[in-house]
Amino acid sequence: MIYQSKLAPKYDFLDHQNLEFLLSLLNSKNDNVTGLGASIITHSCQTSAEQWALYEAGVFQKLVDLIGGSVSQRDASLESLTAIIKNNHEVTPKILEFENGRALNLIIKFTIDKSPRTRLLACACLIAVSKTSSRYVEGIELESKLIYRLLELLEDPGQVGDEASFALSSLIEEKEDLQKLAFEANAINKLCFHLQNGLSCPKRLQGILQALANICSKLEICRSKLLDLQAFDLVSDALRHDCTDIRVAACICLRSLSRSVKNLSAGYFMNETVIIPLLQLLHDPSISVQLAALGAISNIVIDFTRRKSNFIHCGGVKLLAELSMAMDPVVRSHSLRALKNLTFLADRKCKEVVLSEITASALASLIRDPESAVQEQALALVRNLVDGCVQSVDYAFTENGIILDAIGRQLQYASKAEIGIQGMYALSNIASGSKVQKDAVMDQLFQHGGMNTQPFIMRFLHSNDNQLRTASIWVLINLTTSYCPGAAGRVLKLRNAGIILQLKSMVNDPCLDVKLRVRATLSQCMKYGDSTM
Amino acid sequence: MPVRVVESSTPSQVSGANSGNTLPQACSLLTVGQTFSGTQNVSSLQNEKDEAWRVNVCIQGCDLDHGYLCGTMEALNVPMADTPGANGLRLSSLSPTWLQFMTHQFYQVVTFWEGEIVDGKNYTFFTGKWEAMPEDDIRHWTKFPSFLPLLSRVEADGGKTLDLSNYQYIFMRWKEQYFVNVGEDCGLTIAGFYYVCFSCIDGSISGFYYDPKSSPFQKLELKATNGERSGYSFSTYEFQ
Repeated sequence: MIYQSKLAPKYDFLDHQNLEFLLSLLNSKNDNVTGLGASIITHSCQTSAEQWALYEAGVFQKLVDLIGGSVSQRDASLESLTAIIKNNHEVTPKILEFENGRALNLIIKFTIDKSPRTRLLACACLIAVSKTSSRYVEGIELESKLIYRLLELLEDPGQVGDEASFALSSLIEEKEDLQKLAFEANAINKLCFHLQNGLSCPKRLQGILQALANICSKLEICRSKLLDLQAFDLVSDALRHDCTDIRVAACICLRSLSRSVKNLSAGYFMNETVIIPLLQLLHDPSISVQLAALGAISNIVIDFTRRKSNFIHCGGVKLLAELSMAMDPVVRSHSLRALKNLTFLADRKCKEVVLSEITASALASLIRDPESAVQEQALALVRNLVDGCVQSVDYAFTENGIILDAIGRQLQYASKAEIGIQGMYALSNIASGSKVQKDAVMDQLFQHGGMNTQPFIMRFLHSNDNQLRTASIWVLINLTTSYCPGAAGRVLKLRNAGIILQLKSMVNDPCLDVKLRVRATLSQCMKYGDSTM
Repeated sequence: MPVRVVESSTPSQVSGANSGNTLPQACSLLTVGQTFSGTQNVSSLQNEKDEAWRVNVCIQGCDLDHGYLCGTMEALNVPMADTPGANGLRLSSLSPTWLQFMTHQFYQVVTFWEGEIVDGKNYTFFTGKWEAMPEDDIRHWTKFPSFLPLLSRVEADGGKTLDLSNYQYIFMRWKEQYFVNVGEDCGLTIAGFYYVCFSCIDGSISGFYYDPKSSPFQKLELKATNGERSGYSFSTYEFQ
């Protein structure tokens, strides 16, 4: 009983004496004693070292033997086996190889046992196998059967029904093919049926929201189905639930639903019944709730219907700007990502609110944040701020160009391609402005570092990352366009720095986009004195 | 320094041993946030004169792995007659109120469209739906000069064995899905779809509208736009 409580102390399997004692429990002829041994494993086995130690000690074989025992031994063994193989790429193949697949076949057999609990535990064990081993020969056929079994178990009114949705959720997580199979098995209808008929058990509600979130995470047909079933309001209502886990699950479900350009373009999400509870969750003391809410907000604010002002009026920008200064770097980067998405194709008024709330100096600091994920999002936010109408480029020059200067400094030391890509696109957007703005970008390309330091753009042009090379060349295209005065001087400076020569070596770049942009740039430069390509 | 330019303007055929990626490569001019502007010409069979109206397109979503693209198409100055309209719109069964609205006010319609990128994996040159038979497909695709080098392979197997990864043109079908700024009872229809050819070189787009009930070969011509900027600008978003 003690080990059925989550609060029970963990058992140390790496201690030899403890392991011997555990084996003595599993070897007992008494059901209760072997059940205790299995419970200890289920409760305490967490690390791969512990899993391996248990396997090497012969626990695995003992548990397989116990599967053939009494009902309680069988259930306890299935649960323990799951604990031993879960996420362990070394131990899981052993279950497949064990006595030519005897253990696996035994477990498969129990997925149609008359006991719902046994069926669920057998399914959970097979899910652990399928998520860990690529050598799982039965593959998609068995996984498809598992989906049907779990949907049947969902009908169980007790704990098994509560847990079935979590198992389903785990099975289909990140697997588009299985999500499609779940869709074809009518999973969304079945889950929504439970959602619409009122759920008194918080655990079940959480599980259903989580399962719906996973089914809708990749496929548009699934999202459309869920919206067609009028379940959206129920998901929104769950944002205000007393239980933290349910609020998180509702946020994740909304996040999946809003991963749809089609729905965003139809304006499904940008309304106060969704936005206000989500913003309230940003005040939640739990970081997991904050992050879940930020995930949903990030998608919703992309909004293509020009109703981003609704979000501003609800105080969303102010809150996101505050969170972008949070102590937790993940909260900072997620908040910046939401602001970046909000400023995607936003009008000037929206961008002005964003910049006034976050301030140019804070944004410059975030560009130079110690965390690379924060740097990347801050640079991408600048990229969007200076996109759109040409006057937007001025944002980079507020407070004496503190933002532009921060971009240049950060790019000088950028070690990750993602940071370089966002930074170069930010510079490219600025370089699509006036002569003064182009000249300011030129200065950034060459002013950082010492006399013998290579300009960062040269380093990026040598990068293996296609996107980084492409972004860098767009900066050069914008700087050398003949549609703006001063191009001749900028071309001369680029030539003197060896950049034109480098471009010439890239005319047959393996990346088509790079190749075409290089040729376009050289073609522009030819107007200023160099006729060789 | 003279540099020899190696041209590979025609796509190669995938050999049996080629297990590499043959999908069209990402093109920075065909990414989210990019806008295009141009015209759609309608050859009106009734009065034998060409009509054209302005069309703006914005790319809102792009997923090359799934051969998916989507965005909005905005038609301005849609003509008043009962002719096939902008964005493939057909003005049919117009109520007197609607006609009055069109006659006296600026008429602008925005539709949301979804695109299928012909990549040999997710979609081939053969449409297989929307009332388009293989001969309709070939008749429309061959209107694009850049398609001609592909014709023989497409006739053989729909282009499944073509390696389009280094081809400078991307072929698509754009199908309008719903009206964004007017209701479905607006008296317009978006039953057809566009055959589209995108040039990775300069971001220009050509298209032909196909709807068995509309005038054939209405031509869409768009160019990448950058507003008042002297250069290109690129925005971004990412789903969580």
